[in-house]
Amino acid sequence: MRERRTGLHALVGAYVLDAVEDGDRAEFERHLLTCDQCRDDVRGLREATARLAAAAAITPRPDLRQPTMQAAAVIRQLPPAVASEHTATPPRRVRWHAGRAIARPWLAGVAAGLAVVLVVAAVVIGLHVGAMQERLATQDRRDSAVTAVLGAHDAVILTAAVSTGGTATVVMSHRARALVFTGNGLTRLPGVMAYELWLAGPAGVRAAGMLPPGRHGMSGPMVVGGVAGGEQLELTVEPASGSRQPTTSPVVRLVLGI
Amino acid sequence: MPGGQAGVRAGDEYGNVDIVAGSPADGARSAGRANPAGPDALQLALSAVARGDEAAFAVVYDRAAPAVLGTVRRILRNPAQSEEVMQEVLLEVWRTAARFDPAAGSAAAWITMLAHRRAVDRVRSEQRSAQREARSAAAAAEVGFDEVAEAVEASLDRERVRRCLDGLTELQRESVTLAYYGGYSYREVAQLLGVAVGTVKTRMRDGLIRLRDCLGVD
Repeated sequence: MRERRTGLHALVGAYVLDAVEDGDRAEFERHLLTCDQCRDDVRGLREATARLAAAAAITPRPDLRQPTMQAAAVIRQLPPAVASEHTATPPRRVRWHAGRAIARPWLAGVAAGLAVVLVVAAVVIGLHVGAMQERLATQDRRDSAVTAVLGAHDAVILTAAVSTGGTATVVMSHRARALVFTGNGLTRLPGVMAYELWLAGPAGVRAAGMLPPGRHGMSGPMVVGGVAGGEQLELTVEPASGSRQPTTSPVVRLVLGI
Repeated sequence: MPGGQAGVRAGDEYGNVDIVAGSPADGARSAGRANPAGPDALQLALSAVARGDEAAFAVVYDRAAPAVLGTVRRILRNPAQSEEVMQEVLLEVWRTAARFDPAAGSAAAWITMLAHRRAVDRVRSEQRSAQREARSAAAAAEVGFDEVAEAVEASLDRERVRRCLDGLTELQRESVTLAYYGGYSYREVAQLLGVAVGTVKTRMRDGLIRLRDCLGVD
């Protein structure tokens, strides 16, 4: 165990230099959530890499600027977040906002209100959403369907325990009638079986897609569109080829409130 | 809207921010706040960007784009692709500005992290689909700190970093620069240098620590 910890600590340099592969990165980031010292190390070493970047600076061609400004003007921004990479606990989150309040005193009231909201959100949502967003940011940023839902104005987050183990998380945009499903720590199934998503409503049950096998404990994200009024999301265990109708009882059921 | 009062006035058009190409500091001085000069100017502009302030985004662009482009260019080599990735990174900064966490580091560190990661991700996904073999030890020789693309900005940063890199052991320096400027993974670095994987990991860590202390950051 001691050796394991030492091994992870040694990885801090490679991690900050992005010299780790995806599996190592995920493992180290999990470790970061529980290691204050490591977060401090990462912060300091990242400042050093920022200087390496500054030392390599090249003046961009002037004609790249205007198109970038114009593109920004039509890109919707993400709202302030839930859990960021290094702020695992609510106290850190409060300090973050205290810092902003000092910078702009007249916003102190607004910031304090926001801090309360974010602390509550952090408790409800939990860390796996942060991990999901981190993964989305790094691996699925080209998936515009996912980002459209996550960035939607009315996005809400639902989580529920899966009866066979793990957690299901859904980010739902009612207006878009679409959701992003992510499973965390779902029980590994034998190769002939797989998890399947269903939309169950007044008109019956329809298949919403097979969940690909998880990586690093994370299954998905999967986008489900065209959600109809009164439908619930269900997850069942099915033959790997999928079923036309559920053949087992749902291991989790999420009321979407649509 | 209270956000409009902070940093850069929301009503400013980005065209009014008077920027001289190659002098990012000029951009910072036009940020409009009483005294935005100094290392926090980028962060102030970034927090205004988080509230949708387009004029502040122009300031962020002018201050951050050169380091982003330089970093990306080191790794990708292809000038056109590098410019494209630079723009993607800046737009990602725009899109995710509200997610920036000052408690986790400076704005410059956050933005250059996004840039470096994106360039490395691009290289690795291309490698997976193409020729992983082709990156030979010969290529590694090109990655040293002094390899200059073309218009690398002469700066105090550059001199200071050069001096601090000179203070590392050779193995530390090579490990850090191959990873940062070359975009190589620690396993690839180990192979290029012909040393054990564990050795490379510790040299990267020790080299960065020494660099951090020498640069007086943290």
